[in-house]
Amino acid sequence: MKLAAIVTVYRKYSHAQHIVDRLLEGYGWNGSYHHPPMELVSLYVDQTPEGDLSRDRAARFPGMKIYPSIAEALTLGGNKLAVDGVVIVGEHGSYPKTPKGQVQYPRYRFFQETVQVFKASGRSVPIFNDKHLSWNWEWAKQMYDTSRSMGFPFLAGSSLPVTWRIPSLEMPRNARVKEAVTVCYGGVDSYDFHGLETLQCMLERRAGGETGVAWLQAYRGDKFWDAMRRNVWSKRLFDAALCRSHTLTPARAGFNDVFPTIEDMQRLVKNPVAYQYQHVDGPVATMILMSGLVRDFNFAATLEGRSAPLSTQMYLPMPDGRTTLANFFSPLVHNAEQMFLTGKAPYPIERTLLTTGLTAAGVDSLYAGQSKLNTPHLSIRYQPSDESTFWRS
Amino acid sequence: MQNWNRDLSRRSFLGTAAIASTLSAQTERPKRIAIITTIYRYLSHGQHMGDRFLVGYPHDGEWHKPNMQVVSLYVDQKPEGDLSAQRAQQFGFRVYPTIAETLRCGTDKLAVDAVLIVAEHGEYPTNSFGQKLYPRFEFFTECVKVFERDGRAVPVYNDKHLSYSFDKAQRMVKESKRLGFPILGGSSLPVTWRLPDVEMPMGCQIEEALMVGENGGDDAMDFHALEGMQCMVERRRGGETGVRSVQTIQGDVVWNAGWSIDLLSAALSRSDTPLGMTVKDGRTQDLIATGELRRLVTQPVAYLVEYRDGLRATMLNLRGALRDFNFAARVTGHGVMSTQFLLTPEPNVTYSACLMNKVAEMFATRRAPYPIERTLLTSGITEACHRSQGKRLDTPQLAVTYAAPKESQYCRS
Repeated sequence: MKLAAIVTVYRKYSHAQHIVDRLLEGYGWNGSYHHPPMELVSLYVDQTPEGDLSRDRAARFPGMKIYPSIAEALTLGGNKLAVDGVVIVGEHGSYPKTPKGQVQYPRYRFFQETVQVFKASGRSVPIFNDKHLSWNWEWAKQMYDTSRSMGFPFLAGSSLPVTWRIPSLEMPRNARVKEAVTVCYGGVDSYDFHGLETLQCMLERRAGGETGVAWLQAYRGDKFWDAMRRNVWSKRLFDAALCRSHTLTPARAGFNDVFPTIEDMQRLVKNPVAYQYQHVDGPVATMILMSGLVRDFNFAATLEGRSAPLSTQMYLPMPDGRTTLANFFSPLVHNAEQMFLTGKAPYPIERTLLTTGLTAAGVDSLYAGQSKLNTPHLSIRYQPSDESTFWRS
Repeated sequence: MQNWNRDLSRRSFLGTAAIASTLSAQTERPKRIAIITTIYRYLSHGQHMGDRFLVGYPHDGEWHKPNMQVVSLYVDQKPEGDLSAQRAQQFGFRVYPTIAETLRCGTDKLAVDAVLIVAEHGEYPTNSFGQKLYPRFEFFTECVKVFERDGRAVPVYNDKHLSYSFDKAQRMVKESKRLGFPILGGSSLPVTWRLPDVEMPMGCQIEEALMVGENGGDDAMDFHALEGMQCMVERRRGGETGVRSVQTIQGDVVWNAGWSIDLLSAALSRSDTPLGMTVKDGRTQDLIATGELRRLVTQPVAYLVEYRDGLRATMLNLRGALRDFNFAARVTGHGVMSTQFLLTPEPNVTYSACLMNKVAEMFATRRAPYPIERTLLTSGITEACHRSQGKRLDTPQLAVTYAAPKESQYCRS
């Protein structure tokens, strides 16, 4: 089985490095060192800034050739599709921003050029797309529609849904979820997507499955603190999520682990952001970015028939001083491998279509003065995979 | 003496009854806690463990405040950055100049319900075997004197190993049994999160075990790694029967010392901190297959532990290759099982909340959730490994037998 990788930049700790290196070098998996049973034979790199590792990797892995265009990477310089799967990593690199502040990563362009080769060759192969589909909702929807109409397996998204959970627990299938919260960190059009995927991989398992999202409202600055004081999102859930964190910034000098008051949080968090939205069948979810307070992703939900919230941390062993290896990419790559091997995406692309739309809606709401936006385009219905796909072994 | 016994058993009964109903726990009078520590400075064990009883800690998805009140503190040293006076003022307790006064809170009788001994960090001499001579035995003995004189004994937690000396450690355990008070000790490795959430099946047949970490030579870190390994192997068939011999080796002989490479491979596959090329350019590495391991670790150290029932366990210090603690064992019928003991980051060090929750549980129920013999044996293994100096050392004194707790005690909820 042959794979092509289409990436923006290949630099230390860029997503391409994490993902493509795992395909080339292997990685620790299930208690041994795993070499994916497939060959990465071609690479397209859109930018090669200082620190580029693609040439080093091509030299060390002569089975992988760098091609100057996406078409050539997919045809291996010939005139027909010559690989069995495509890995698209359009994260990191230097790209212009939209007026709303979204980085215009070229995932849509990468996807379109890939699909053109599929069409010209009369054959399609599975595509893995790292992170959301596109910053632009229309393009994302088009990517999704193309994958369905052409009938090739398509997997995308964040590593949050598939990484370790601490504690190692799953949302019970068919749970009646009333409300859910994720408290995490990072910026708009960036880690907000990871927070949304954290919520969605849990919520999609509720009774009836996913029904889509009816509206979204974003909060930041004073309006965020005001919403927090008015319990626009459940304080109990917020607190439960915070109690799963391993990275609470100490709010008081001399203490290493204290629970913050809202005044502490206001002091520590300069630019808080929340996206609150309601699913068509009722549950309300809130994704909260609190850079300055935590550096991890924590989830909590109220379930009918259960007095205490269900809560856990989606654990990222982050190489920002805590570790040296971003091993949360291992389960992501492993799920991509499963798709390439079986021809079936282990979890539905509709999850990422929805979180892509939510990310864009969050940006739009902030841009529109934090107003509440109806989201009829996000009435996306789907059923989750039967099996849990997060890292447990 | 008769009164003494009656008082002990009555208190024991009351303690158990109190916890039987968690709903009523908060209406009970808070347990009075004395903290005896070497130093109380930011991020010292004394501070992060002691503070758990002052400000609470995350547990089971909530901020848990045990129904306990710190009423007195003894600090052996007050280096720059000492926080004891500040804490005492803020939380309304007193710092006393002696351990006896701390336990009696300035009265003439024992006036606390439990004692937290944390003798880690601070300036203390190191012996010729590289062990730091923390005064845990001495602190404990002072407490026992008060218990004995005042005719009442209360639960004691002793952080980390009982003592650098197995002889002293054994005396501590004997004293707790003689006076009938519960004692809990040890590291947070046995109780912290595991990645993956793996437990040794109770009564399993372990063929070989291996722990790998960044330790060796430093008895503080060695103890953590050894107790992490001990909490896994103690669940094997027949329970713990003690250790027959230990041997510490270093240098190239470590690579061919009889331990199995597949166990090391499994343990390393759990690591999130490979060094060398991973630090340079972020790559994943099969440290064994590439030969990088031997290049990165210039001074490997192995502790070879032979148990009395024949089990062989190895603790490998591979400083330079990784920075976390990973375990692997070959288990009959289960293949190789492996996991990482997760040491969560500073400053929260939430693993110490996992440990203090066990301590709070013992303080409340007067029952230790796991046997002190685990910590006793590990204290003895640590000392013997430091004394081995390259030679195989028979350890007849380490015929420590005990049964592992039936229920898993590490953090998983």
